Amino acid sequence: MDTTIESYMLLSSVIFVIGAIGFLVRRNVLVQLMSIELMLNSVNLLLVSFNRLHTGNMVGQAFAFFIIAVAAAEVAVGLAIVLQLYRLRGAVNSDDATTLRH
Amino acid sequence: MINLFLGLSPILALGLGGMLLMLAEAFGSPAGAEGRTHTGEVVDAGAGRGTELGLIAAVILFAGAVFSASLWLVGPESLPEVSKVAPYLIIDRFTVFFAFSLCFGGGLVALLAAAYLPEHKIDRGEFFPLLIFSTLGAIALAAAGDLLSLFVALETMSLGVYAMIGLRRTNPRSAEAALKYFLLGSFAAAFMLFAGALLYGVTGHTDLAGIGAAIGELKGAALDERAGMILVATMLMLVGLAFKISAVPFHMWAPDAYEGAPTPTTGYMAGIVKSAGFAVLLRVLFVAFGDTRIMSWGSGWPPVLAALAVITMFAANAMAGRQESVKRMLAYSSIAHAGYALVGVVAASRGAEAMGAVLFYLFGYAVSTIGAFGALLWAGRRGLEAVSYEDLAGLGRRHPAVALALSFFFVSLAGVPPTVGFFGKFTVFQAAIDVELYGLAVVGLINSVIGAYYYLKALVYMYMREPRTGAPIAQPMESGLVIAALAIAAVVVLGAGLCPDQLLSVVSQAKLN
Repeated sequence: MDTTIESYMLLSSVIFVIGAIGFLVRRNVLVQLMSIELMLNSVNLLLVSFNRLHTGNMVGQAFAFFIIAVAAAEVAVGLAIVLQLYRLRGAVNSDDATTLRH
Repeated sequence: MINLFLGLSPILALGLGGMLLMLAEAFGSPAGAEGRTHTGEVVDAGAGRGTELGLIAAVILFAGAVFSASLWLVGPESLPEVSKVAPYLIIDRFTVFFAFSLCFGGGLVALLAAAYLPEHKIDRGEFFPLLIFSTLGAIALAAAGDLLSLFVALETMSLGVYAMIGLRRTNPRSAEAALKYFLLGSFAAAFMLFAGALLYGVTGHTDLAGIGAAIGELKGAALDERAGMILVATMLMLVGLAFKISAVPFHMWAPDAYEGAPTPTTGYMAGIVKSAGFAVLLRVLFVAFGDTRIMSWGSGWPPVLAALAVITMFAANAMAGRQESVKRMLAYSSIAHAGYALVGVVAASRGAEAMGAVLFYLFGYAVSTIGAFGALLWAGRRGLEAVSYEDLAGLGRRHPAVALALSFFFVSLAGVPPTVGFFGKFTVFQAAIDVELYGLAVVGLINSVIGAYYYLKALVYMYMREPRTGAPIAQPMESGLVIAALAIAAVVVLGAGLCPDQLLSVVSQAKLN
């Protein structure tokens, strides 16, 4: 492995961890959605940079396109759910979502 | 070519049927006059036609089950053309077994929803195409032999379920349940993707068999260099999969999502989504991480999974016993059942025979749990739902048929002979003992006894208590569809419990080798 690949790996790991921490720490649902996008994009970065190691095929880059497409569909459903909650509650804070407690 | 169509017939039947149903929903005339309700509110075309759309959906899903059964009889190995879609979709007996069980369970849920949605005035036609496409995703997930198709199938299944949970649009609980499941489901998917990207970097493959082979070939310095990445990838993959099957400590979303969702959706999540989750767990662990070094007890995933199984069983049973809501109790019970099935998965890492036990268990559990949620929704009508144990008090005297149905499926979930639930637990623990995992088998047995407590508690309320004066009394709804679905489920639960040999021989052929 040459150093460039390792620095890409480091970068995407850092982005992934930032996304995961953002998801767990922030309570605004929209920010949590953005954090998930950050995690998915770090995976894209990782896949595309790994593709340089495996030059025989374009699997890594093709995979990244699939992730982008599916993430778009996922966000569409996610925003619909957030909108529904906002209409009912007037807020998009996941701490307020406490109706369901035992 | 025709053989390829035959091999993919369950998936094609669902895809085509789902699209036709969507057209029927969009272009059919609404039930209300001029597309308005009696209050003048504009409704969309599918509204008010839940019963007929649900019946069509059930027919499509049962047709998928029939196609799967015939594909089983023909034998996927006698259709060489199906290798054209490999490794993205692998049509083997494992896939066909899951295709049957997922379609069958989906058909039961469609029948239940056809009665439940009109009764509770959430009669929205889009539920049924979502149900079919989600089941399609579940089958593709069981068939997926490549991380790419695995991810797409997982999202196809999950996106449909998110929408099915949030169906009750004016109810904050429904929206909240959908939000929780959506956020944690996407979070878990991101973990699985990161693990997949790491595996691609290490091996250069995204197909599970290629990953497994490439890991097996690693030796010496190359192995030392990459062992860390493989370890991280294995752990991240396990975290993502544990979220999907709701194993403790990754179960936080499950009770809330199960409770807030409309009851047919809850049955769908507990039965279908969990079965598909286990299918992909088995395929990933035994194909991609099936190398003897990663599957060993000393340096691999089996001890991690065993620990998950033990925590899952104890924590879920402890929590289930403390619930006042029966629906929430069933949610925790479904987490506990994931723990029992995990015992079988751990046993399968030592001897391939145990995987058949897991498949047997999953089939019996899926039918029993869908039956239990079906009986629970039968017990309540709009405004008079059966929610807590108190609501069930005296049900055995007032409505013996409903109480009998609830008791029957609870007894199967508790694992009392002669139901399929008993033989499921029996085969799983037997498999664990066969490979000398005595500790796990004993923990499982202890937990089955603890688990019987909260099912019997419901029976005690139904047959030995009288409702308190002034308390709201649950009124059963009247629906032939619910009775039909429960009768089909009961026949399977009892039939597979009385003569388990046929099912046992089926699952022993269906296991991955």
